[in-house]
Amino acid sequence: MEQWADETNAANLVMMFRVPTSAFRLLSAFWRLNVAEELQYRANFIASVLGTVFNMATALLTLSLFFHHTTTLGGWDYWEIVVLLGVFNALTGVIEAVLRPGIGQLAGEVRSGELDLVLVKPVDAQGFVSFRQLDIWRLTDIVLGLGLAGYALFRLGHTPSLAQLMAFGLTIAAAAVVVYAIWVVLMSLAFWFVSVENIAVLFDAVYEGARYPVSAYPGALRFLFVYLIPIAWTTTIPASALTGRLRPEIGLAAAAVAGVAFGLARALWRTALRRYAGASG
Amino acid sequence: MIRRYAALIRNAWLVDLQYRASIVLWLLWGVTEPAIALGIWWAIAGDGSVAGYARADFARYFFAVMLINQLTIAWDSWYLDRWIRDGELNFRLARPLHPAHEAVAENLAYKARTASVILVVWLVVAVAWPAVRLPFAPGRWAITAVAVVLAAAMRFFISFTTGLLAFWTTRATAIMELHAGVSLFLAGRIAPLALLPPAVAGIAGVLWFRSMLAFPVDLLTGTVQGTDAILRGLGGQIVWLGVWILAYRVAWSRGIRKYGAVGG
Repeated sequence: MEQWADETNAANLVMMFRVPTSAFRLLSAFWRLNVAEELQYRANFIASVLGTVFNMATALLTLSLFFHHTTTLGGWDYWEIVVLLGVFNALTGVIEAVLRPGIGQLAGEVRSGELDLVLVKPVDAQGFVSFRQLDIWRLTDIVLGLGLAGYALFRLGHTPSLAQLMAFGLTIAAAAVVVYAIWVVLMSLAFWFVSVENIAVLFDAVYEGARYPVSAYPGALRFLFVYLIPIAWTTTIPASALTGRLRPEIGLAAAAVAGVAFGLARALWRTALRRYAGASG
Repeated sequence: MIRRYAALIRNAWLVDLQYRASIVLWLLWGVTEPAIALGIWWAIAGDGSVAGYARADFARYFFAVMLINQLTIAWDSWYLDRWIRDGELNFRLARPLHPAHEAVAENLAYKARTASVILVVWLVVAVAWPAVRLPFAPGRWAITAVAVVLAAAMRFFISFTTGLLAFWTTRATAIMELHAGVSLFLAGRIAPLALLPPAVAGIAGVLWFRSMLAFPVDLLTGTVQGTDAILRGLGGQIVWLGVWILAYRVAWSRGIRKYGAVGG
């Protein structure tokens, strides 16, 4: 197998964009194992779908309650925000299926020194710890979320043009990268606060804010969600692309934000890794 | 008994001290939901008001929710679910003290720590932001304290009893999540009950949900006025507390018998 464990110096920064095919082979092998394991517990599928439907119903009821007392929220009307909730749910599916299953394990490994076993593997450590677990049932959230967004578009009577769909494709990909970058920051924090197995709670707390268009919030919160914890880019922007209110330059900015967020998160991960002393330290 | 409790609370306090970072995380998680609800209602209210609630009223309401939710929340169903499934309950049963006492002590230590943080933050914010200041009313605060104790006791028994369902099902925590989802509306976490459709608010009042959170919050902010309304609210809390204690006793005695049969 090709050696691609990168060193910690900045000169190798270029390497981080080189993803050899072996990485995909490795990933698919891991995920195949996960799928085989999960298929033994099919009742979990029903429970997972029911849970998602219940969460969506709660979100829609909350929204109805707000719209019981207003006709627009941050300049968006009811069904536009339902499009956004669909996008939110689809991204939640990505998080729950791919990112969350592995993070608890990482905190334990940092504390016990078992992370050594990961670091000596000839793979990129960040990619490995991020994607090694897969909870396939939660992938249905993506389908349900996109279904909800589609239904809301139908209720709006809006059929996205090809350009709008392409803009959605670009911004949702950027959204996934931003979410992943925030997640990498959280994983890096595990190196400083080793007692934190539930660090993902921090993500849940912050991500609550992405349920509504960022324009609905007061100025300080809006600044926070656009620039400091960039969750506005993960739901407001892709939903805007679908409903046709996205300006092209904002779409390009979303791609740039994703790049910067990923770069910063990667840098923090490397700094964190340097703190790690291993089982003997 | 008092000496035992002092020891249990001290123990729980020291255990929590080890997990300071975790506790800060749960605290943050607990305050973001009301903070975001406040942000949305703030936008909706604008310069006017919604069903009699202006911006400042919403601010006071949700600050009170943050504090009182933290004072009354109980995580016991998650612990019990784990104890029962992993068999950790065994050594707790072997002790000469009912496991519920340990759970109560843990609740007291956790709440003392987290609620005092929120209280300090509220005081600091109130210095800069007049909207969240409460009128000085020691009598009202004293009654609120009673209502908070009743609500905390009730939520403890709800959580503990639901956790005991783990004797029969592997989905006890899912039932608790369902209850949390319903209480989002009926307990007043997402909006004051006055803003719900009257029929829904009525259900919240008839069931235990208003007693859990909305009633003590409305007491603190001064929305509940008059001796009659206050006494009725406290009466509802006492009745539902009684009902949940009863449910707990039934679930515990039956569950323990079943547990013994499986493990023994």
